[in-house]
Amino acid sequence: MRVILAEDSTLLREGLVRLLAEEGHEVLAAVGDADALLREVEAHTPDVVVTDIRMPPDHTDEGLRAAVRIRELRPEIGVVVLSQYVERNYAAQLLTSSAERVGYLLKDRVAQVEEFLDALERVHAGGAAIDPEVVRQLLIRTTHVDPLTRLTPRERTVLEALAEGHTNAAIGEKLHISLSAVEKNLNAIFDKLGLHRTTGYSRRVLAVLRYLES
Amino acid sequence: MRVAGVLVGCLTALLGLLYFVAAGAALGAFLLWPRTRARAHALLAAGARRLTGLERRRRSLFFHDAFPEHRADDRQILRYLAARTYSGLLCAVVVGLVDFGAVLAGIFAVSLTTRSTMTWVDVLSQVVLGGTLLFLAVQGLRALTEQDARLARECFGPSERELLQRRIDELATSRAAVVHAVDVERRRVERDLHDGVQQRLVALAMLLGRARRGRTPERADALLEQAHKEAREVLTELREVAWRVYPTALDGLGLREALGGVSERCAVPVRMEYDVPDPLPSAVETAAYFVVSEAVNNAAKHAAADEVSVRVEQRGAMLSVLVRDTGVGGADPAGSGLTGLGSRVAALDGTLRVDSPLGGPTTITAELPCA
Repeated sequence: MRVILAEDSTLLREGLVRLLAEEGHEVLAAVGDADALLREVEAHTPDVVVTDIRMPPDHTDEGLRAAVRIRELRPEIGVVVLSQYVERNYAAQLLTSSAERVGYLLKDRVAQVEEFLDALERVHAGGAAIDPEVVRQLLIRTTHVDPLTRLTPRERTVLEALAEGHTNAAIGEKLHISLSAVEKNLNAIFDKLGLHRTTGYSRRVLAVLRYLES
Repeated sequence: MRVAGVLVGCLTALLGLLYFVAAGAALGAFLLWPRTRARAHALLAAGARRLTGLERRRRSLFFHDAFPEHRADDRQILRYLAARTYSGLLCAVVVGLVDFGAVLAGIFAVSLTTRSTMTWVDVLSQVVLGGTLLFLAVQGLRALTEQDARLARECFGPSERELLQRRIDELATSRAAVVHAVDVERRRVERDLHDGVQQRLVALAMLLGRARRGRTPERADALLEQAHKEAREVLTELREVAWRVYPTALDGLGLREALGGVSERCAVPVRMEYDVPDPLPSAVETAAYFVVSEAVNNAAKHAAADEVSVRVEQRGAMLSVLVRDTGVGGADPAGSGLTGLGSRVAALDGTLRVDSPLGGPTTITAELPCA
């Protein structure tokens, strides 16, 4: 896939460029701030953009704002943001419009090379990649909130995997259960969350959003 | 001079009395009538202000009082003039009594030498009585002159209360500034950790991840080699960050050693003069350390200096810290680093001066009381 990177730490930027190149991806540009990122996205047509949230000049949420903007202007481009901390607000901002072609990962996730590359692939394929740690924290926060409390432990793990953006098959593989068991669990989850009669993917997205907003 | 001042004070008090009597007679009725009260009061105060000006000149001429620019309002002026007139007249009475006593003592002395019809009991009783009265008169005079000085301070200068108020404001400001400075430092530490150490660790872990996926052993080896180097650099960085947070050498080895560490880690040569014979309070040591460390780092980082000289010396109860560089100047005293330093120094009742003309050199001076 063709990637544009925005990361202000030179060291990490170089590392990412190398990693992606080794994996056979094409890095169109690697920049150090949000303005340059927007310019590069304007100039090229990447499949996926990977951006740090905290970048110069103010080291606040420049990368996130750029990501939201890219999603508005070019929804066909996948966007993965890297965050220092689990920021529910950031995740929610990113996912409000839709949870397609979008990823919200903790920066440390980059260190787990396989998981990072896997998340990129998922976003590229039109899915979502939400950091397991984000999901875990959100779950901790939402345990006392209906309707998630009505989920069985098994359903909860399935929803967790779903929120991370895995496909049904991948969820089955991950949890060592059959595909039909995954589907059954998902249907139970959608019922309990009150998501009836909506079609495949958006229903999954809504389940994730329900999560982030609770 | 002071005696003359007291005597002049008696005369001005007499003036005050005359003024109050005359003004009271002229303005009394208007002061009582509501519609003219304000005008009459203003007139009365305007006259009082003139007389008060006279008192002020008397104080500064005879007693060398230096009053700051201070504008008292009408009520204060009137109150002062009334109190001052009263105590001045009292003073005149006491001075009169002393004079009278002196005359009596003279007569008594003359009569002793000419014809002594007095028994020694008479003489003794006269002396005791005279001495006692003299003592009382002197005490009265002292109290009255002190009161004169205090009244003048209350009206012309900052009163005790105002001084206290000022000190409280000062303390409140410096306390708020210290809290702010602490927050700024914490933010800096957070950024140091995140933008420095964490990025390096992530990069390191990524190198290891790539090494594990290495298609060939040679490739994996090269990546491991890089990762090893990176790990050592992370350690160095971590040590630097921790040192910037708080130099532990300060606790163990004292200011001198900690400053030695600053000059060792500085990219430009630092000339250090250190002359502190007595042990310092630890708060002063810490503040002095951060002044030097921040100033030296700024000189190396922003001023493109090729040499920095540092002088730390104790002068009596003051520790003076001076950092001068040969750089391009233009340091901003309102920048976050220098503001933080200023707060740190102000919290110890010290002063920080930054002199940095464009084109350099930059001189940073801190005076810290070490009592």
